[in-house]
Amino acid sequence: MAPPAQSQRSPSPSQPSGKSEVSDLKLQLRQLAGSRAPGVDDSKRELFKKVISYMTIGIDVSSLFGEMVMCSATSDIVLKKMCYLYVGNYAKVNPDLALLTINFLQRDCRDEDPMIRGLALRSLCSLRVANLVEYLVGPLGSGLKDSNSYVRMVAVMGVLKLYHISASTCIDADFPSILKHLMLHDSDTQVVANCLSALQEIWSAEASTSEEASREREALISKPFIYYLLNRIKEFCEWAQCLVLELVTKYVPSDSSEIFDIMNLLEDRLQHANGAVVLATIRVFLQLTLSMTDVHQQVYERIKAPLLTLVSSGSPEQSYAVLSHLHLLVMRAPYVFSSDYKHFYCQYNEPSYVKRLKLEMLTAVANESNTYEIVTELCEYAANVDIPIARESIRAVGKIALQQYDVNAIVDRLLQFLEMEKDYVTAEALVLVKDLLRKYPQWSHDCIAVVGNISSKNVQEPKAKAALIWMLGEYSQDMQDAPYVLESLVENWDEEHSAEVRLHLLTAMMKCFFKRPPETQSALGAALAAGIADFHQDVHDRALFYYRILRYNVSVAERVVNPPKQAVSVFADTQSSEIKDRIFDEFNSLSVLYQKPSYMFTDKEHRGPLEFADELGNLSIGEAANNVVPTQMVEENDKDLLLTTSEKEETKGSRNNGSAYSVPYDGSSTSVFASQTQIESAVSNPTLAGHSPQASFAIDDLLGLGIPAAPAVLSPPQLKLNTKAALDPSTFQQKWRQLPVALSQEISVSPQGVAALTAPQALLRHMQSHSIHCIASGGQSPNFKFFFFAQKFEESSNYLVECVINTSSAKAQVKIKADDQNTSQDFSTLFESALSKFGTS
Amino acid sequence: MLQCIFLLSDSGEVMLEKQLTGHRVDRSICDWFWDHVISQGDSFKSQPVIASPTHYLFQVVREGITFLACTQVEMPPLMGIEFLCRVSDVLSDYLGGLNEDVIKDNFVIVYELLDEMIDNGFPLTTEANILREMIAPPNIVSKVLSVVTGNSSNVSDTLPGATRSCIPWRAAEPKYANNEVYVDLVEEMDAVINRDGALVKCEVYGEVRVNSHLSGLPDLTLSFANPSILDDVRFHPCVRFRPWESHQVLSFVPPDGEFKLMSYRIKKLKSTPLYVKPQLTSDAGKCRVNVLVGIRNDPGKTIDSITLEFQLPPCILSADLNSNHGTVNILGNKICSWTIGRIPKDKTPSLSGTLLLETELERLHVFPTFRVGFRIMGVALSGLQIDKLDLKTAPSRLYKGFRALTRAGEFEVRS
Repeated sequence: MAPPAQSQRSPSPSQPSGKSEVSDLKLQLRQLAGSRAPGVDDSKRELFKKVISYMTIGIDVSSLFGEMVMCSATSDIVLKKMCYLYVGNYAKVNPDLALLTINFLQRDCRDEDPMIRGLALRSLCSLRVANLVEYLVGPLGSGLKDSNSYVRMVAVMGVLKLYHISASTCIDADFPSILKHLMLHDSDTQVVANCLSALQEIWSAEASTSEEASREREALISKPFIYYLLNRIKEFCEWAQCLVLELVTKYVPSDSSEIFDIMNLLEDRLQHANGAVVLATIRVFLQLTLSMTDVHQQVYERIKAPLLTLVSSGSPEQSYAVLSHLHLLVMRAPYVFSSDYKHFYCQYNEPSYVKRLKLEMLTAVANESNTYEIVTELCEYAANVDIPIARESIRAVGKIALQQYDVNAIVDRLLQFLEMEKDYVTAEALVLVKDLLRKYPQWSHDCIAVVGNISSKNVQEPKAKAALIWMLGEYSQDMQDAPYVLESLVENWDEEHSAEVRLHLLTAMMKCFFKRPPETQSALGAALAAGIADFHQDVHDRALFYYRILRYNVSVAERVVNPPKQAVSVFADTQSSEIKDRIFDEFNSLSVLYQKPSYMFTDKEHRGPLEFADELGNLSIGEAANNVVPTQMVEENDKDLLLTTSEKEETKGSRNNGSAYSVPYDGSSTSVFASQTQIESAVSNPTLAGHSPQASFAIDDLLGLGIPAAPAVLSPPQLKLNTKAALDPSTFQQKWRQLPVALSQEISVSPQGVAALTAPQALLRHMQSHSIHCIASGGQSPNFKFFFFAQKFEESSNYLVECVINTSSAKAQVKIKADDQNTSQDFSTLFESALSKFGTS
Repeated sequence: MLQCIFLLSDSGEVMLEKQLTGHRVDRSICDWFWDHVISQGDSFKSQPVIASPTHYLFQVVREGITFLACTQVEMPPLMGIEFLCRVSDVLSDYLGGLNEDVIKDNFVIVYELLDEMIDNGFPLTTEANILREMIAPPNIVSKVLSVVTGNSSNVSDTLPGATRSCIPWRAAEPKYANNEVYVDLVEEMDAVINRDGALVKCEVYGEVRVNSHLSGLPDLTLSFANPSILDDVRFHPCVRFRPWESHQVLSFVPPDGEFKLMSYRIKKLKSTPLYVKPQLTSDAGKCRVNVLVGIRNDPGKTIDSITLEFQLPPCILSADLNSNHGTVNILGNKICSWTIGRIPKDKTPSLSGTLLLETELERLHVFPTFRVGFRIMGVALSGLQIDKLDLKTAPSRLYKGFRALTRAGEFEVRS
């Protein structure tokens, strides 16, 4: 058919070209709508194609809806498909016009061709217009009884779609029980699989309101049903197998013989070509044997080969996903993989995120027998073109050195790095040598000889420079020219931009002074003068502190600044084992790839986290357990949920450890790397408060500010709180959103309180002893943020508190929300008194 | 559950959008994604699974086309990635390759395929054999036919089935005048060789590819002469597990046409067919390069398509490289590529020349890694050998063909 004459131009030339083309199309479609001329289908097809391609590019062609529907009377299946696609895309925005399509879709649902029946039914259910659901029930009902499995399969998914549009319609039509019947009796496995996935979703959603649904959901993981699926598993398509395997992970077998039966049945799944099936099977194996230690180890041995094959055979994307899982397993059981270390060697072409994972695994699997090979290999990467990877591999060498007993060869390698004359290699190696010396002081002579040859001018990176300065200070007695190197650094004080380096320089000068006073004295004076004049508060404070303590008594100063040190035995781990276990429980999920348990990243809509999670960059949210949480458990939970934050801080502390070392503390206390609890116990002792590890506060005291008298204890409030209050995060979140702010005020925090607040959990424990519980907390010095809740004694009236504490200003901003507004003032008094006691008790 | 699939061109343009569930995913996610890709540099270097502020994204890049899937719920990551890989496989199978134009020309077919491959976010059939029963591929024959007969529907006449027979990978019972089955062993050798010539790692990844055109329901058994050398194997779903477990025999009813019957891995190989000896000596701002390539272990068949490639370190100002055999090219991105072809009988191919370093540098600190390519027809380097292939109830005329091929995978020589 000839194209229609260009009779009608777009009404206004200023309109965008898309519009004029759309109106052209509209006209052409209208002409074709009633036509029965031969070949009309071909012209329609061209037009439809155009419409769809516009739709795909993103041009709004919804105005053609009416015309498209008019043209849809055709027997051509491709035309129908395009039409369904179009209708599915725009029905939601055109609910009224969508009604027009119902008619022809319903007619197609009765077509004699099962393909058309199925497609029409799928499109009908994909309209997703709430007021059209009544038209879905009939076609769906007959679709579920259709003689053709294709139609049944589509109908089952249709039921799920209907449920998401209108749950009540779906339940009222009794579709779930029809699906259940199909699931148990249909001969076609794809229909069974679709039923399973639909019912899982429907019953999980219904379970909270309907007892029957939750019973049905339980029945899905009952022995007969699981066995019914397992016995047919080979008939299912590969994706459906994943679904079944996922269900099996939830099943708890009654005894060990059952476990072995299931594993025997599934063993060949490990050889499946589809990686998703293999991983799902591995997850089943790991879950089943969790309580059987020796079998669990055998499982590791068994799954090793399939995993390694998956890594080497798939596309880079697949390899990465598998490698992430392998990484998790290697971290859990490095010894199982120690003979396979060659698989973790990096290839030149691999993307850096893969290399990074491999480097971590190489570090983990290193043991006495393979260390030499692994370290040799890692040294190859130090010359890598990819600088971040080169750095990472040097760090890996360092980590292995810190793990191993025999570090002889490794130290040599590290020292070779120092001589490689590449800035970043030298920089990384310096940091490592410093860490190494802290663990193995006996190596100092070998290292110092090499370190002494490094010109400080070649070291620019603050971390490396700090490490070098630390070593110069620490080993100044062994390094001939240490005082002079330090002196030249002091001379260039103004050119040193990093406060961290300047802090280290001060401390190193002090240490050097204690060991070689005549050579250092003048330089120390210059350093202190420069430090006191420094703009950076910490540098200024430390210089002043050193100055005063030196004037007070030099031997005391030495005890404070350079006490005898213990070698560090274990450096803090970056990720807690609790988190790792959590991720392990979520094997074969995104958690593994992100290396975080899902509650830390999954979408709010799907997990219902605290609303304010976004406000706090560094906040860790607890999945504060069930509704009835004994106090003890709450405490543990709190501890857990804060583990990451606090450990991060700790690690950071240990990295720029120079400052940690030079922090002035009472010589009698143990290592700075004392556990959190030790610090806390020291802090909680009021007599020790003046010597708390927090340098700045100690300085305050030494400067003679003294500890202000504890604020008068406020009169005990009348309000009584429930000591075992419990609230789950989602309820908290909901209430926080609903309730108005009852009270908002600023409370000052006592200096002891500030000193004790080194990490959020110190306050949590304290507040808990006052029956005020924490639900989330986060932040780093000087800003901490807490969300507390409390419940009235023998009443279910809640108080919610948002508390932001700034330790540098010693102020707390408190917002209180309460179910019972009248008592909020009482609660506020109570809260204030509890807070004021913090650090004194 | 995947919520949406996008196909993006190599300039970030959305070529296709397929919403899968009621949660409509806004197209703006693609803009976010593309910005992310650009900020990461090369798109193939960004991670396959990314968290955007609103969705978790899976991406697979094939021939410049990005297959992007979005989800908001926790799901097995490999399911998302595998599925996207299958989509790209099926599309390239259907369209005879993948590129922007072919997708734009055939987007209706792509929509049709996606419609059958995934419903409500859950993957259904991804077997090209089954899909071909439902949606006919666009080929020249059908185009010609449609012109002649006027019947332009590209939908085949056969009835669809969710799983039509009890053997899901074998759709119908085809009939052939000539019954043929071809078995190919295709191996890739991955090796890392250190600068001192020591073999750090050498393994073979191999596939058994079968092309079967057999009538009815053929039941095949394939056995190897030396199955014990296999370290690990993965099978097509058609392979029966028990016979393999007890006798290392592959017993299966093949899908019709081409498919990958099995893949395997053989580690700890002792030698490579070629040696590559790079020598780099630096002196006074110049670096002398000399690379020799020769046969170490004669595999008995000709080694051809030998190539050698390496990235010149960034600190090199200019390079002057020549060879006594083959051609040397320095490409725009400082990749030096030396095409050798076959090793001549009378001489050892060598590449030599000098690299001029940046002015301040005395010596070279970053050493290039040489990537080697080669191909050997007729030999499976791992030594795996097919013993025999039997067909239960063999038809009167059956043609069986066997081939082998080895090529370099990640074959690296460090210097």
